Amino acid sequence: MAAPHSLASSDLAVDARDLTKTFRSGWLRPRRTEALRGASLQVPRGAIFGLLGPNGAGKTTLLSILATLLIPDGGSARVLGYDVVREAREVRRRLNMASGNASFVWSLRPPEVLAFYGRLYGLHGRALRQRVEELIELCELGPHRTTEYNELSTGLKQRLAFAKALLNRPEVLFLDEPTLGLDPDVSIRIRAQIASLRRDQGTTIILTTHYMREAEELCDEIAFIKGGRILARGAADALKRQIRIGEVVSLRLDPAEPAGLAELSGVLAVRRRADAVEVTVDTVEKRLPELLRWLHGQSVEVRDCRVRESDLEEVFVELNR
Amino acid sequence: MSSTAEAAAAIRGHIRPPAREPEGLVHEWVRTWAFAHRNLIMARRNVFFLFELTFWPGVAMLSHGLLTRFLELTPQMTAFILAGTVALSTVQVCQLDVAYAVLFDIWSKSMKHQFLAPVSIRHLAVGAWLVGVGRGLVVFALMAAIGSSAFGFDFLGAGPASLAVFLAGCFLSSLIIGLFVCALVILFGTRAESSAWAAVNFLVMLAGIYYPVSVLPGWAQTASAFIPLTYFLDAFRAGYGFEPAFAHPALFGFALSGLYLALAHWALAAAITRSRRTGLLLKLSE
Repeated sequence: MAAPHSLASSDLAVDARDLTKTFRSGWLRPRRTEALRGASLQVPRGAIFGLLGPNGAGKTTLLSILATLLIPDGGSARVLGYDVVREAREVRRRLNMASGNASFVWSLRPPEVLAFYGRLYGLHGRALRQRVEELIELCELGPHRTTEYNELSTGLKQRLAFAKALLNRPEVLFLDEPTLGLDPDVSIRIRAQIASLRRDQGTTIILTTHYMREAEELCDEIAFIKGGRILARGAADALKRQIRIGEVVSLRLDPAEPAGLAELSGVLAVRRRADAVEVTVDTVEKRLPELLRWLHGQSVEVRDCRVRESDLEEVFVELNR
Repeated sequence: MSSTAEAAAAIRGHIRPPAREPEGLVHEWVRTWAFAHRNLIMARRNVFFLFELTFWPGVAMLSHGLLTRFLELTPQMTAFILAGTVALSTVQVCQLDVAYAVLFDIWSKSMKHQFLAPVSIRHLAVGAWLVGVGRGLVVFALMAAIGSSAFGFDFLGAGPASLAVFLAGCFLSSLIIGLFVCALVILFGTRAESSAWAAVNFLVMLAGIYYPVSVLPGWAQTASAFIPLTYFLDAFRAGYGFEPAFAHPALFGFALSGLYLALAHWALAAAITRSRRTGLLLKLSE
């Protein structure tokens, strides 16, 4: 699915077209797994872009190809104008990546991990020491500078992975499940840092996440990937409209869930949530008065009524059908 | 933010990407030093690294030295055997450091971070090898001290130049072996580790480690002619009065090493490319 905006190629941080990738495994019983089946993705420079999809959808494969860690079987991909296969070294100088399950050499301490990878990006002398200190401070790793990596908690490991991903001041940053398994307060801080990276340094960020709220909060645009293909893309609001999964009327009723609600015209779904009933309707302006009239006719008392848009979770569920 | 295009355009409008300075020799050295420094930290922090540096070489020198006493070998024959003992221990310790450049990342499942950075094989190989050379020299010094004090073996008996050529040959062989081990591990995963080192011991056996290659069966003698260490041992032992089996052995050894070094570099590059293609590079990070 192409980008909805017509941008010059120089304005694109990522330009991937028809990427295919099949993994083969097993000698006696060869198995093929088609991870990508013609995925195309264009991301403008300076955007925060979310890649959402179920497990095995192809998110990590797509990011890994863009990060030069995997070679695609077919199609082409350019990052900042450089071909990810033929000009991989130029791409690597300008991008970085952090993943939620990152791991580093067990005996190294946070400043040593950062210094090692900093040197791999060509940093040295005072510039290296300064950058390591900046990132230790930014990711609040100061009190743990003498702790060996395998002694760090999951949250600290993830913060270290995030710090490592910023070492070379990347123009494009890939974040694979950056807040996976983190405490809410740490997740909030990481999200704030992601937003400030784009704001202060113009970094293009592509992140994969399972957390719809995170994607809605951070991303200018979101793409849904499933079965190795991009199914839909757009701003969160536009996606909800595009997929036409309606709006949700949340009702507290007495009796709590009257029979026959799901059979009403324009009602797409009825769900029980805590002490409320959530009725998803195609057009709230048209269906809400009809719904209230019907409830009145059934002698059902309406104690509370709220209307909200479907969230991305519901878009996601809809696309997964 | 209403749309990506607007948001991104606003960002593009007021922020310029960081300038990337052109890279030169300093950057080459910095990347090389990264691997050397990491190996040094790991060696310093892990007591078992000290163990492999002192215990096994010490045990090897003492047991082989005592064997030469039991067999009542002449000083010349003792030199023949102990030269092989030194070669084996030095090569084993040094090649291990080269392999660590990849193995540390495999064991810690951090492989992808290394290959996400703009590094080349030469950086990881030379960086780790430099530490290997340092550790190999420590092993040599320890063995020389035990050999001369306990068994009267003079390691400078063949002359300083001959010793330098011998050690250079051992270290070059280590680099080649280490690179091939890295290639095998990247190609087949950690299950290739033990077979890679088994192959190392087999090659050393063919190189005439404790005996002249003339005692090997015909096919093994042919095979030994393709192993650089055969020539370096031959050249070093010639300094103790043994008839060399080859003409210009040191020259042959270096020429063959150059060839294998190029081949090992190519093999590792091909293994990395293949693992990027098959996805093993990512699997090694999971």
